[in-house]
Amino acid sequence: MGKLIWHDLSRYISLTASIYAVWASFWGILFRKFFWDFIGGVLRAPGGLQPSPKVAIFITIIVKFPLIQIITMVLGFIIIALEYPLPVLKGTALHRSIALRVVLLIQLSSVAVLFYQGTNAALWSLIAATFYIRALTLGERMEEPKKDKGQVEEA
Amino acid sequence: MGESWFRSEFLNPRRLVFNVIFYGIQFALFALGWYLQVTNKKLAALNALTWSVWTSRGAGLTLAFDAGLLLVPMLRNVIRVVRPKLAWLFPADENVWFHRQVAYSMAFWAMVHTTAHYVNFFNVERTQVRAEYALQIHYTQPGGITGHFMLLIMVLMYATAHHKIRNQCFEAFWYTHHLAFFFFIGLYTHATGCFVRDSTDPDYISTFPFYSTQHCLGYESWRFTIWPGILYFGERMYREYRARRATRLSKVLVHPSGAMELRIIKPSFKYSAGQWLFIQVPEISRWQWHPFTITSAPEDPYVSVHIRQAGDWTHALGERLGCGPSIVAAMTKAAMKGVEKNENEYGGTRGEYVELDSVTLSPALPHVRIDGPYGAPAEDVFDNEVAVLIGAGIGVTPFASILKHIWYRQKKGSLGALRRVEFFWVCRDAPSFGWFQTLLQEVEEAQVDPNFLHINIYLTQKICDDMLWNLAVNGAGAEYDPLTLLRTRTMFGRPDWKSIYRRIREAIEIGQYLPGSNAQLTTKVGTYFCGPGVLAKGIKAATVMHSNKTVTFTFAKEHF
Repeated sequence: MGKLIWHDLSRYISLTASIYAVWASFWGILFRKFFWDFIGGVLRAPGGLQPSPKVAIFITIIVKFPLIQIITMVLGFIIIALEYPLPVLKGTALHRSIALRVVLLIQLSSVAVLFYQGTNAALWSLIAATFYIRALTLGERMEEPKKDKGQVEEA
Repeated sequence: MGESWFRSEFLNPRRLVFNVIFYGIQFALFALGWYLQVTNKKLAALNALTWSVWTSRGAGLTLAFDAGLLLVPMLRNVIRVVRPKLAWLFPADENVWFHRQVAYSMAFWAMVHTTAHYVNFFNVERTQVRAEYALQIHYTQPGGITGHFMLLIMVLMYATAHHKIRNQCFEAFWYTHHLAFFFFIGLYTHATGCFVRDSTDPDYISTFPFYSTQHCLGYESWRFTIWPGILYFGERMYREYRARRATRLSKVLVHPSGAMELRIIKPSFKYSAGQWLFIQVPEISRWQWHPFTITSAPEDPYVSVHIRQAGDWTHALGERLGCGPSIVAAMTKAAMKGVEKNENEYGGTRGEYVELDSVTLSPALPHVRIDGPYGAPAEDVFDNEVAVLIGAGIGVTPFASILKHIWYRQKKGSLGALRRVEFFWVCRDAPSFGWFQTLLQEVEEAQVDPNFLHINIYLTQKICDDMLWNLAVNGAGAEYDPLTLLRTRTMFGRPDWKSIYRRIREAIEIGQYLPGSNAQLTTKVGTYFCGPGVLAKGIKAATVMHSNKTVTFTFAKEHF
């Protein structure tokens, strides 16, 4: 019955997801693994999982060089900067754009889902994006802050 | 913020003790879980995973402790029963605060535990300690499935429980928080499937708990953590049962200020002054319980709550009871303007309330259910020699019950230690709380001892010129205060708590405040406050500042 402001709720989930993504990509750099390598992969003891040659490109950008993890981390930091927000971004049109967040979160989700540690971050950022889309369809806006806020009369 | 984080967490003795004990236990358990894993010869194979497995086991044990503790502060009925005995040990009214602290810790340890497990399973796959894929452990085994589920549930629960969300849409918080049921199912089954073992394959047996403790070497923490869960579940069932006992909404009174007074008759409902209850009106919302302060005294033959139509639920209730917004708005307006007051000025009474009687009302009064009562610190007013009751704005409601109760006890002559009552009411626009003034008036009229009850009303709203002149002209020399119609004069502006407490202390010390009191003994002055936190801080500081050997000031705050 109360009026839920979806982008307020989504902000917290988005923050959680992006912080998780940064943390996960850090560990993803230390322990590199392509999430989907079990497809066509062979399990050997000893030696562990041998990925299929068909996914070699992913092995290159995740295991050989942690490009995906680095992209995830950068995206994660961008979203945190936008959501928290970074003081310089506060109140700018960029900061108040819900659509931008949806785009960034879906991007984050699609890179995070590629490496082993990133799946939860991928799922959560997808949830956050869904909630933001919900906010957009309901016509919610992030209002410009009122200029004359914080008077002494308040209390 | 105001004061620094360090100051509030470490320089406050009680908080310091709490921090040392609470976080000390957690780190000790972490170390214990780590140590037991490292030194377990049977788990040598798992120990090949080194630090990550030690970390995950340590954090797992700490998480078990936290999760077991999580529901304890939510056992409202248990707390209500034990709080009179254990009030000295822990602040029973800060239960939600404690619940939050446990939740924060849990989020931290969940991070540690999950991170470690991601490393564990990575290495299991790499070294083939067990012949399986990492993702098999993550997504096909109970530990992995429940773990991921619990994390997801936590994200949703924590996000909706943020005070901003809770304030704008309580339902989103309330309904989402019931995911806790699934969370706890996940918690109790998290370590099933013989996850920590010294054998290659899980050692299942056909009898409960379906694994053999010979080879399954987990910490078995579910044996402990399940009890608060069962207790809480039992409590919810009991609350449901209690709520279903015969309850009848006997009367609805609409006060000129727009407050609805519901008088409910429920013989099985026993409470004391200053407590609160949950009310549900199934016709309006099948699942929602709304907390309200009880405004009747235990001696009254009914239970009453005063409801202002402020939110959508209360609006819907008003609509259903036939006192919709239009009627109330008109009445409120009149009350704000003080229209009815002028008419009755000679009689010195306020505008009368309107009773909505059930005969003419169609349809009949709705069915209501109440749950409670739940505790509030004001129960122990009678242990103090002097009680300072401070209500700010709508926070004055619990004192309706307490003042009435004091009045009843006064009539019976059983006031306990209580010798004097200082009542403070700080509010922006007094006329909108007309119903409360009526009550104050009754209590004030009934005073035989002029020194017993002292009412102080502070009006903080800005007054315009017209009002100022009116007050000056009409108020001077009149028997009653023109605003509140009490004998007590209304004061304007915010009270200066420091000087108020200093005056109380000085008056007690020179013995004129409590005639005949023994100067050798310590006089207890209890402060009971209900209102916004900022004000509480200031008052608390004043109580601390003025406590000394002969006069001790205590402070208690109520929560909604």
